[in-house]
Amino acid sequence: MPDGLLMITAVADSIRSYGEFPVIGARGAIWIAAQVHLMFAAFVLGVPMFAVVAEAIGIFGKDAKYDGLAKEFTRLLLVAYSATAIWGAILVFLLATLYTKFWAYLTTIFGPSMWLYAGLFFFESFTLYLYYYGWDRWKYGRAKLGHWTLGILLNVWGTIVMLIANSWLTYMMTPPRDISSTTDLTTVKLWHAIANASWMPINIHRIIANVVFGGAIAAAYASYRFLAAKTDEERAHYDWMGYVGNFIAMAALIILPFAGYWLGREIYMYDQSMGITMMGGFMSWLWVIQAFLIAVLFLAGNYYLWIGMGRIPGAERFRPYIKYLLIVLVLGAIVWGTPHTMIADSKELAAMGGSHHPMLGALGVMSAKNTAVNLMILATFLSFLMYRRGNKEFTVPWADTGTKIQGAMFAVAAAIVLFYGIRGYFVEAIIRIGYSVYQVGAVLACIVFVTVIDSLMGRGAKSVGEIQWGKMPARSQYALFILAVTFTWLMGLMGFARSGIRQYWHVWQVMEDTSKYAATPALGYASQMISLSVLIFLSLVGFVFWLGGLAEKSTFGTAAKGGSHVGH
Amino acid sequence: MWATNLKVIGVVLGTLFVYTLICNKIPQMQSEVPQKLSLGANATAEQLVAAGDKVYHGIGGCGSCHGLGTRAPNLRTDEKGTGAIGARCGTREAGESCKVYLYESLSQPTDFVVPGYQPIMPVVTKLLPPEQVWALVAYLESLGGTVDVTGADLQASAAPAGGAAPAGGGASAEFAGGSVDPKVIIKEAECGNCHKVDGEGGELGPDLSHLGGRRDAAYIRHKILDPGASVTKGYETMAGVMPKDFGTRMNAAQLEALVTFLAHHK
Repeated sequence: MPDGLLMITAVADSIRSYGEFPVIGARGAIWIAAQVHLMFAAFVLGVPMFAVVAEAIGIFGKDAKYDGLAKEFTRLLLVAYSATAIWGAILVFLLATLYTKFWAYLTTIFGPSMWLYAGLFFFESFTLYLYYYGWDRWKYGRAKLGHWTLGILLNVWGTIVMLIANSWLTYMMTPPRDISSTTDLTTVKLWHAIANASWMPINIHRIIANVVFGGAIAAAYASYRFLAAKTDEERAHYDWMGYVGNFIAMAALIILPFAGYWLGREIYMYDQSMGITMMGGFMSWLWVIQAFLIAVLFLAGNYYLWIGMGRIPGAERFRPYIKYLLIVLVLGAIVWGTPHTMIADSKELAAMGGSHHPMLGALGVMSAKNTAVNLMILATFLSFLMYRRGNKEFTVPWADTGTKIQGAMFAVAAAIVLFYGIRGYFVEAIIRIGYSVYQVGAVLACIVFVTVIDSLMGRGAKSVGEIQWGKMPARSQYALFILAVTFTWLMGLMGFARSGIRQYWHVWQVMEDTSKYAATPALGYASQMISLSVLIFLSLVGFVFWLGGLAEKSTFGTAAKGGSHVGH
Repeated sequence: MWATNLKVIGVVLGTLFVYTLICNKIPQMQSEVPQKLSLGANATAEQLVAAGDKVYHGIGGCGSCHGLGTRAPNLRTDEKGTGAIGARCGTREAGESCKVYLYESLSQPTDFVVPGYQPIMPVVTKLLPPEQVWALVAYLESLGGTVDVTGADLQASAAPAGGAAPAGGGASAEFAGGSVDPKVIIKEAECGNCHKVDGEGGELGPDLSHLGGRRDAAYIRHKILDPGASVTKGYETMAGVMPKDFGTRMNAAQLEALVTFLAHHK
């Protein structure tokens, strides 16, 4: 171990282990700093991903409006990037002063990776500046491709930075089993500590979640600009930008649960008691709240699409079906939110007449919940498909047959979901778990094949009329705000779940938390910390966006002239 | 414009308020830090049972699995006609008292998996301090049985970690009845719960059927005595599951018989 790190450890050993912070306490201070830093970090990691995709569509599809959109996305990053760094510094200073010994522990093992982290952050910052400020300079030919490569490089740096930071927090959750409280830290190999059991699942989960989050915040930004717009042209641009942001968020959200299942599985395999604490222990109510929040996301996302159909000529033919989709979504949300394995005291057990509620127990099991959520995903996809088809009239001769095949695919997928959902009640748990793979597979296959057929059918389609971008009622934009707040809040809640399952350990079963804040708080207190963090984040993000608006006029003016908004 | 700003702020604050309100209205459960019990050598059975009740329903989180009827056997109520745990614990393992059986179920849970259930129970002695484990044993005994945990057990538990065999126990003194038959040893050690041997057994650990073709005797011996020293590729997530006490439970002759058997099984 380098001498410097030995010195840090020695200093930490000789001074107090924990500090105190006024009013909200040391834990509260760390909680808020970490959460707000993470929210900014997720935003600045998520946005470059779809900015670079939008730029590629602009380059290869020769559509200037996408290039303008990519630049506008990137402009949101500039000040947000500084805020990420500031909150990261706050977090580090708080850790070093409030959790001295624990911080020394982490630096002893991960010190070299922290230096690499700082170095990469430097490269990432300058790549971002080159990417943004070089936009208009490197606009054509090879220079434009070089500029696009900068965007890819920005994503590479950002992803590596995230992977490094993830290794520190996942080590706290799932340290390699051969490391104990008595292990000499100088013998712990850096890569051994980095490549712990939950590292890769968290990496994948966060990459997808960052896209969801970035899309939702960008959509909220666009919705605010829409509401504040003074011209029809501006309103049309921000309506379109809000639609794209929401589409990105919802599309990535659909695959996020699968990454979540993988993470949960790894946690169970690493330590059953940790998994049980998470799903059936004192955190069991958390999953009911999570189900409620996801129900809000599904309903608000679909509501936005349904309202959006009002600005698409020809989409009125699909309006009668909306009520059936709403029924599926509401029923699905109710089933998904039904509690099952809750910690109950003897009075509650007696009142229920057993460990499960006599009526709701059957709906609270995974068979019912998986069925509900898969049908909700199918319903949401159907909403999107209707929206997508709104102003199209297919001209290919096999259009009717294609539509029937698509309908049959929906029916087969729903039948498979229902069949395995019902059958799950009659088989052993170990077999039932495997059924969720068939259900998910059927839904994903339906989404992929129906989309392919729809794209093929859409070739040469006649337009009933152009989408009337900008002609959206204000309430649709408030739905986007609710989506952004809910995504942000959900992120805070899941962060609490991931961190809280360590309970009174800084590093699970290796380094105990002996501070006065060692107990893991109940959901009520956690919700207050989450709401406070979300409020700080959204206030700051509003401020930095306002700053961005002051610094430069929107790019929509030139971009909107680049082409009309037909299709998607 | 101000009206729009106020509406946006209202939507944001309103949404946050609703989520916070809901979370504060549901039952509030905090995960406590295990506290050292102040029970000494003079602790009464009532005091031990009361402390164990708190552990069971609190930090132990036992109710997360036991009592649901699916994940683990019922403890506080009847399990398939055999009564509550206090009534049946004395007959679960031949020659083992209720107290010894319960303690060993908490310290070596994979050795006592009830048929029909998965080996998912954590090693409770790793999670809770010894006083709380004994209080838990006393509480479980009280559920239909007689409490014979005493303050002396708590005193004895101050012995070095990992070697806290219950007072009056000595269950492992004659592992597998002293037999040096490797198949008897394998059965007694319940290797089959996790490993396949001759095509039969679990899949949590590597297949031992043809182990001799891949590993030599020295490696196998070392692995039995110190299973955490290395992890077989593909089983990284199961690291730490294999019990580390076979070296103390088997005598030297039994260990060598087992090693020789596995090393020649090619």
